[in-house]
Amino acid sequence: MSILTLLIFSPILFGLVILLLPTEWRNIFKHINLLATLVQLGIAVWLYINFKTGALFAGINHQGQYQFVEKLHWIGLNLGGTNRLQIDYFVGVDGISIMMLLMSSVVMVVAAISSWEINKNHKGYFALFLLLDVAITGVFCSLDFFMFYIFYELMLLPLYFLIGIWGGVRREYAAIKFFLYTLFGSVFMLLVMVGLYFSVRDPQTGNHTFNMICMMNPANYDKGSIFGILSNATLLGYPARVVGFIVLFVAFAIKVPVVPLHTWLPDAHVEAPTPVSIILAGVLLKVGGYGIIRVCFSIFPDIATSGAFWIGLLGVISILYGALNALAQRDLKRLIAYSSVSHMGFVLLGIASQTAEGMSGAMMQMVSHGFLSAMLFYLVGVIYNRVHNRDIYSFRGLGTLMPKYTVFVMVAFFASLGLPGFSAFIAEAFSLIGAFNSQAINGLLPNWMAVCGSVGILLSAAYFLWTLQRMFFGETQLKGGQIWELALTDLGKRELITLVPLALLAFALGVMPSLVFDKVNDSVLALIQFIQLK
Amino acid sequence: METALSYTDPLIIQLAIAVVLLPFAAFLINFLLISKTSKVSGWISSLAILLSFILSAIVFFKVWDKPHDIHVQQVWFAIGNVKVQIGLWLNNLSVLMLLLVPAVALPVHIYSIAYMAGDAKYTRYFTYLSFFCFAMLALVVMDNMLLMYAFWELVGFASYLLIGFWFTRDKAVQANKKAFIMNRIGDIALLVGILMLYAHYHTFDMVKLFAGDNALANAQGVDKAWLTIPGICFLCGAIAKSAQFPLHTWLPDAMEGPTSVSALIHAATMVAAGIFLLGRVYPAFNADVLTVIAVIGCFTAFMAATIALTQNDLKRILAYSTISQLGFMMLAMGVGAYSSALFHLATHAFFKCLLFLSAGVIIHEMQHLKQKHQLNIDPQNILYMGGLRKLMPVTFITCSIAALALIGLPLTSGYLSKDGILIQAFEWAEGKGWLYSIIPIGAMLTSLLTAFYVARLMFKVFFGESRLKEFNPDIVPEAHDGSLLYQIPMMMLAACCLFPLFSFNPFFYEQAWLFKGFIASSYLERMNLYHTVVPVAVNLLIVPVIYLAYATYIKRDAHWFKQQGVLFRFSYNQWYIDSFYNKVIVKLVLLLSNLTYWLDKNVIDGLIGILANIGILLGKIAAWVDEYVIDGILHVITGIVKQGGNFVRGFQTGRVQGYLVTMLLVILVLYVLKTFI
Repeated sequence: MSILTLLIFSPILFGLVILLLPTEWRNIFKHINLLATLVQLGIAVWLYINFKTGALFAGINHQGQYQFVEKLHWIGLNLGGTNRLQIDYFVGVDGISIMMLLMSSVVMVVAAISSWEINKNHKGYFALFLLLDVAITGVFCSLDFFMFYIFYELMLLPLYFLIGIWGGVRREYAAIKFFLYTLFGSVFMLLVMVGLYFSVRDPQTGNHTFNMICMMNPANYDKGSIFGILSNATLLGYPARVVGFIVLFVAFAIKVPVVPLHTWLPDAHVEAPTPVSIILAGVLLKVGGYGIIRVCFSIFPDIATSGAFWIGLLGVISILYGALNALAQRDLKRLIAYSSVSHMGFVLLGIASQTAEGMSGAMMQMVSHGFLSAMLFYLVGVIYNRVHNRDIYSFRGLGTLMPKYTVFVMVAFFASLGLPGFSAFIAEAFSLIGAFNSQAINGLLPNWMAVCGSVGILLSAAYFLWTLQRMFFGETQLKGGQIWELALTDLGKRELITLVPLALLAFALGVMPSLVFDKVNDSVLALIQFIQLK
Repeated sequence: METALSYTDPLIIQLAIAVVLLPFAAFLINFLLISKTSKVSGWISSLAILLSFILSAIVFFKVWDKPHDIHVQQVWFAIGNVKVQIGLWLNNLSVLMLLLVPAVALPVHIYSIAYMAGDAKYTRYFTYLSFFCFAMLALVVMDNMLLMYAFWELVGFASYLLIGFWFTRDKAVQANKKAFIMNRIGDIALLVGILMLYAHYHTFDMVKLFAGDNALANAQGVDKAWLTIPGICFLCGAIAKSAQFPLHTWLPDAMEGPTSVSALIHAATMVAAGIFLLGRVYPAFNADVLTVIAVIGCFTAFMAATIALTQNDLKRILAYSTISQLGFMMLAMGVGAYSSALFHLATHAFFKCLLFLSAGVIIHEMQHLKQKHQLNIDPQNILYMGGLRKLMPVTFITCSIAALALIGLPLTSGYLSKDGILIQAFEWAEGKGWLYSIIPIGAMLTSLLTAFYVARLMFKVFFGESRLKEFNPDIVPEAHDGSLLYQIPMMMLAACCLFPLFSFNPFFYEQAWLFKGFIASSYLERMNLYHTVVPVAVNLLIVPVIYLAYATYIKRDAHWFKQQGVLFRFSYNQWYIDSFYNKVIVKLVLLLSNLTYWLDKNVIDGLIGILANIGILLGKIAAWVDEYVIDGILHVITGIVKQGGNFVRGFQTGRVQGYLVTMLLVILVLYVLKTFI
């Protein structure tokens, strides 16, 4: 059994333990859960350290360059004649996925710690939590489209219940909205996946295959097949490959989320319990970004290039629109949710630029936003747990009352608004550099996009500083008066243990961006080269 | 151009790094180890800056006026095929700043030990202060535009922390938010400028871009016109940081921070970073951009001086005077008086810092008086001061020296640097048409305005009788110079405001060593009449202006300066620029954000809602069809079958007679049919 399989499925073992233990022992479930995520983190760190770099380990469209690969025959059916249905259990990582794995396992630990607040139906919660963990890890490791799709859909089920049962007042509405939104995207993805399957043959066996890496090589497409590059097939009057790309892009864009497909996010975040918000913002959004790179751009590079302008435009719109919306919020969690929309726009902009700087910046932004959004939502959870209120206007002068908390809020806010020394600065700067360079290098994005994107940095300063000033500075004045003042105690040990590493990670990546860039660089270069060859 | 490193260079580099890192070490120690109110922190920070100062002096003497720049770099990280370097670039400009920053910061640190002594967040204050020094020192030595931008933002962040140091005051936190956001506007322009250069030259290395004749910006075949836009972007960055029109309104508000901070950050060092930036990237500016710089500088200098005429808040007057003086430096940069701009930067740092430190002492004493006599006054308002000359002699003398330097009277450092700017402005305008001569004349006029508002300030604060007696004739105003911790730094700075530090000749700026250090200037010779006429004329005019202020505020027999009227209100309300920003621009942004939120809630989410409702409606229609159409048909069919069955069931009576009759009838009918039809 390979290390990746262990990484993916180890949470299931812990989940089974939780399911088998009697309910009376519910107080130790959270510890088991935490242990599961820690084990996973340990494996992920081991993978990160042992991950080899160099042009020979770039991955992307070369099967041999993936690391920690495991490939097993999973489903094989003789369909008569030479046709055989072939679905493989095929996992492996390259520079793109290794960072996602590490980031998501850190975020899962944070989410596990913040699950201490859960106070009903422990067994169900933790079982679903671990199932979600499996699905997320699986998505980042899968190299077989069928498996990818299974894990991708598997994420929805636990999330639906986690929001719908343990959420806030309007949890049912938020859960169903989230579920239908994402399902809408992925159902059509299924069709494209099947279309790809019938277009592509594995050169080794000659069978149709779901192998994503085979799908990246135009030589593997059957002549006249629907998605074949030379076949010029049409769907609904449009070139089939364009339709396929758009369908996949919409599915992932919903996850990212890209304006105008984002409205599930504020509702889901506001209603979800803190740990689920952390997972949603920290990891789930990155599945979208990862999918765009791994699936949309790698399988349809030709369309990615011709559509780059529109993708970049959506990125810029997300940046500005999300930031402006954040400025209008008075619910702290909603504000942070919209800020996520804005920050993920940089990912899209960087990817669309198809330059080494932009792609690396986008990867950095995904990692950085993973840590920072986890931190932000955790911080919102801190006051919400204490007084069950998140309205920015209900608080004033928290700085005097909760000095340590305020320090961490300031770290998280300033890191998010791109203060140099923290990861988001490097990420946003390089996304913009990529976008700006694009005109000179490949002519895909006009310069004004980068300029407009940089206005997003200005707006993010505006909404974060306004919140700081309104909630944390000034004389202490609380809506709940004395009772709140007693309830709002400063950070405890457990909270500090969660926040300090996140702050340090954001700082470390800001000072030593090579921690990310070294690992992704070869893959990014290979990807750029691969796209340009089209 | 890479020059071979001589054997002393590694030492210089290590020293320069130490200069930068010492305050950082103090920051870390204070941040992590020292308790909140411990007095140790002040000494740690001061010691660090003292060592920095000594080391920077060594670096300065080793690098100043040497034929080649020192430049080292090391790979920071690689991205794609580009290696991003981190490195130092030491030339005359950067070592001057490297020396200047600790030289000003040291007195401020010592002063702060006394000034902040009673504060509950004493350690926090020094933590921030050390952090600022670190960021500022790093900013001046960086060789790389990306890192320079990083530290450029970090000094802004330090300034944010220190403006809002007393964060329970609403005004302070409004001010720091404003400062950060307005600076961000400039930062973004700067970032765009950097991006443009990177996109064109594929490097962040400023040495490659701007140093020497081999610089890319000067290279053959590069269209200089192409550099206009990055040049403008850099200019915008400098405008925000150096508080030039139209992004100057944050600086007066920034005076909400502790006065010692205003002295160091918002007068001497950080706000000068904009000028430093212009100096660093000077080759990027072509003639058009330079003219824009000159115009902005001149306009800002004039505007800020007119505002300073009517303000009553001591620190605000000084803030506007800072803006005005920074305008002078911009103007100098614009007219090509590169060395004079930097010379003025250096002299201004000392005298403006000293003015603020004096203001700190004065405000401190006024605060005492206010509390002692339970007066309802603003301790910063100069209208309530007066007569402090005799009570605070040391403060008076040091402050006077700084004031004279600010006006630019002979024997002071300000005379040397400012007259240089005026002279070169006249030379620049010559032969360019009358429109261009507005700039030197505007600068000249601004000097006279400066003399007036400085004289007004000095007369109101130090001369005459204490205005507090107007509140209560029994008050005997008491005020003191404060402890040695206040006095020594102020005397140190006062010494630096006089000419000997900069030139042995008190009258000719051309002989100042600092001026000669920047060969970019071609104005070394006293080649024309301006060099004599301008200083004489300015100083001759300044004397009556000061007398006018004396007549107005002390003798009170000149009443030409009315405290009302359109012009007075225009000046008193700071040209209404801030009100315009608040009422129009901020409102517009908020309106836009509310609009997008409305759009989000009603249009986008509304559309989703409609889609969902359509889904539900379709479901209901399907359910209706199911119930009434499909099931209906079934019901009809089953009904028919049922009715048929019921009908037929009627025959099954079980009576044999009935069956017989029926059978006979059927046979009869059949018979009739067969036979007759």
